[in-house]
Amino acid sequence: MFTAFHPTVARLTYRALLGRRRALVLGILPALLVLISVAVRLLADGDPQSSTDVLGRFALAAMVPIIGVIAGTGAIGPEIDDGSVMYLLAKPVKRRTVLFTKLVVAIAVTMVFSAVPTLVAALILVGTTDGIAVAYTVAALVASVAYASLFLMLGTITRHAVVVGLVYTLIWETLLGSYVPGARSLSVQQWALAVGADLAEGKLITSEVGTVTGAVLLTVVTVVAAWYGARRLRSLTPATEE
Amino acid sequence: MTTDNLSPAGGPGGTARPGNGAAPESRIHDIGYRGYDGPRLGRSYARRSLFAQSLRGAFGLGRSARSKIVPVLITCVLTLPAVIAVAVTMMSGADQLPMTYVEYTAGFEMVITLFLAAQAPQAVSLDLRYRTMPLYFSRPIETSDYVRAKYLATACAVLVLTALPQAVLYVGALLAKLDFADQTTAFAEGLAGAAVLALLYSGIGLVVAALTPRRGFGVAAVIAVMMLSFAAVSTLQVAADFNDAKGAVPWLGLFSPSTLIYGLQHAFLGAGAPFPGNAGPSTAQGLVYLLAVAALIAGSYGLLIRRYRKAGL
Amino acid sequence: MTTLQLDHVSRWFGNVVAVNDITVDVGPGVTGLLGPNGAGKSTLINMMAGFLAPSAGSVTLDGSPVWRNEGVYREIGIVPEREAMYDFLTGRQFVVANAELHGLGAAEAQRALALVEMEHAQDRRIGTYSKGMRQRVKMASALVHDPSVLLLDEPFNGMDPRQRMQLMDVLRRMGDEGRTVLFSSHILEEVEQVASHIEVVVAGRHAASGDFRSIRRLMTDRPHRYLVRSSDDRALAAALIADPSTSGIEVDAAEDALVIQAADFGRFTELLPKVAREHGIRLYTVSPSDESLESVFSYLVAA
Repeated sequence: MFTAFHPTVARLTYRALLGRRRALVLGILPALLVLISVAVRLLADGDPQSSTDVLGRFALAAMVPIIGVIAGTGAIGPEIDDGSVMYLLAKPVKRRTVLFTKLVVAIAVTMVFSAVPTLVAALILVGTTDGIAVAYTVAALVASVAYASLFLMLGTITRHAVVVGLVYTLIWETLLGSYVPGARSLSVQQWALAVGADLAEGKLITSEVGTVTGAVLLTVVTVVAAWYGARRLRSLTPATEE
Repeated sequence: MTTDNLSPAGGPGGTARPGNGAAPESRIHDIGYRGYDGPRLGRSYARRSLFAQSLRGAFGLGRSARSKIVPVLITCVLTLPAVIAVAVTMMSGADQLPMTYVEYTAGFEMVITLFLAAQAPQAVSLDLRYRTMPLYFSRPIETSDYVRAKYLATACAVLVLTALPQAVLYVGALLAKLDFADQTTAFAEGLAGAAVLALLYSGIGLVVAALTPRRGFGVAAVIAVMMLSFAAVSTLQVAADFNDAKGAVPWLGLFSPSTLIYGLQHAFLGAGAPFPGNAGPSTAQGLVYLLAVAALIAGSYGLLIRRYRKAGL
Repeated sequence: MTTLQLDHVSRWFGNVVAVNDITVDVGPGVTGLLGPNGAGKSTLINMMAGFLAPSAGSVTLDGSPVWRNEGVYREIGIVPEREAMYDFLTGRQFVVANAELHGLGAAEAQRALALVEMEHAQDRRIGTYSKGMRQRVKMASALVHDPSVLLLDEPFNGMDPRQRMQLMDVLRRMGDEGRTVLFSSHILEEVEQVASHIEVVVAGRHAASGDFRSIRRLMTDRPHRYLVRSSDDRALAAALIADPSTSGIEVDAAEDALVIQAADFGRFTELLPKVAREHGIRLYTVSPSDESLESVFSYLVAA
């Protein structure tokens, strides 16, 4: 009996995540991405360098992680913060089921709001040439899984999960990643790129690590984060009133 | 018989003492509460106090030790290169600082953004989250007072942050006996740039932060807005420059706060060309930049007033 | 039947000991957990609810531990103090969701809503509810699975008098049905009216337990105080003080009565009517002036 997924938890999480305000915020970034893609297409007309720039720097490096942070932490953070998570935990439902269900919802939301727009943007920019569109979409998909899991776990650890998550993605992965080579090998972005890179022709997309390494690392991170998040949920104490 | 007016009534509970055997009467005794009829300091004092408190809070003064970490750290990170530059100049006896005043702010926009992201939500989100807004508005201050105080305080905080290293550069330059007139004009230009930057960034930062009572989201939103706009604009500029649409480059710079500042500084304050392909707005385009900046600042102020008028709670 | 057992339970947070070696069995009926603010009531309830692990000792429900044991929630219903719920859901959706998490359905949810009389507002968003309504929906969500143990943390907070009476009715009914109901409060009148049994916690320690009147009897080092009005106070006073069972008599001119301290409660109760009859004195009022829960409580707290 597959009891690791509970539809009620999923429904509650999904509704909390995509409440009116948050859906709007989540929608702004993909809209922006599509807008930029259109603009670049008009300006650069299919130049592969500019396109990979947009897709790599903007979509994969900024949009996917930010959506991952918002969806991952938003799937559990606010509930823990105001104490309403108690209604999920004071039930005869296994904590790992709660966490896993939330993870599935977070992954789904991240994928929809980041991988799908990435595909659209890529198609706008380069059409189906060279398999670039597929490559980046796959990279966005696997990155979504890892980010969602990582930030969901973060949401069970600290009340400042959003800030920490953002600092990690925007500063560690993007900023330091440009300057410190060591940081690049330790970044979800790079692993995701590695997985997608093979699907593009030639060496159009490069990454710091090999494909297999990237896939393994992504899986490890996802599984470990999910497991640890479930463990934290088992020992969750009620939040104080700050 | 008698109700004591100024001294506390004798006995526990302060019951009255009837002289006969009837049931005791209830009475409330005046134990000295008096209204205040003296002079009051008025609205401007309240505004100034709010301003001072917000400004101090932006640097963690008057708050817990933990809230001092980020502002102090960022101030140090920003000032350190200035100190180093001065030391280098003095030791090598050069007749020019390694960087100009206006360039200083341009290179550190990420750090300034982090400061803004940390402190703008601190200024406005806490009041929203803990519902203290009614406490403010049941006093003589108006919505505009609150907004003005917070806006100016945040802008001053950013200004202090960016002006401090420039001041260090200036003093160091004077000590290294560089040309007084040159340095003073350059310093003034730098300060002007810093002032505009402070106003622009604070406006945007506060508008974004005031959207949510959750401080964490505010931080995230400010970082996201500032960084993503910059990333978007620079990506587009690179694309334009690469593909012979160089004319578009300066116009694209209108769409993000950081590039607006860079452009302004290039057009009016003698900074180097900030955009890809060594481009920068001409003086005429610079006027458009100025207009855009002014519009954004005014717009931020207006949005903040609207926001607090509507959600005055 | 269903008993919550706390065995030498302590809980500390760093250097602060919130709960200090408390051993108590909470059985069927309504028990009031009483204590001043900061006494450790919420910590205790959190431990009983399985939200906090005891630093020492154990909390069990009929033998099975409450901590890290999700199955125990089939038997426990919790009404927390904090107000946060899923504001975007309607009352009914919320209770139904809670029911589904217990493996039950909309029928049970409807029953629970009827029990707390929230059916009239069940289709409005929780965000639009008043404080009392939110409290009732919380109760419904705690009752939806018909638990045998009900834990309520300051349930009467923010309720108006009518809602409070309703809630007291509900709790009394639950207690009469044989459920174990424990609620915490610092409002003595509420506890007095509902609880058949109180546990007093002061500064983390278990100060007293039982029926508060019998607790008062146990406080032998404090003389009982009575307020007596009669046709001839002074004569009565003179007659009473002659007997060793009274340890002090005060003529209170403000109250126009005698305040009598009785060292020996039993003897005094026999003595008073006898003395009054012997001296031909009419007694108008005889009331114990410190048998209220309030005085018991203040005594325990002050100690």
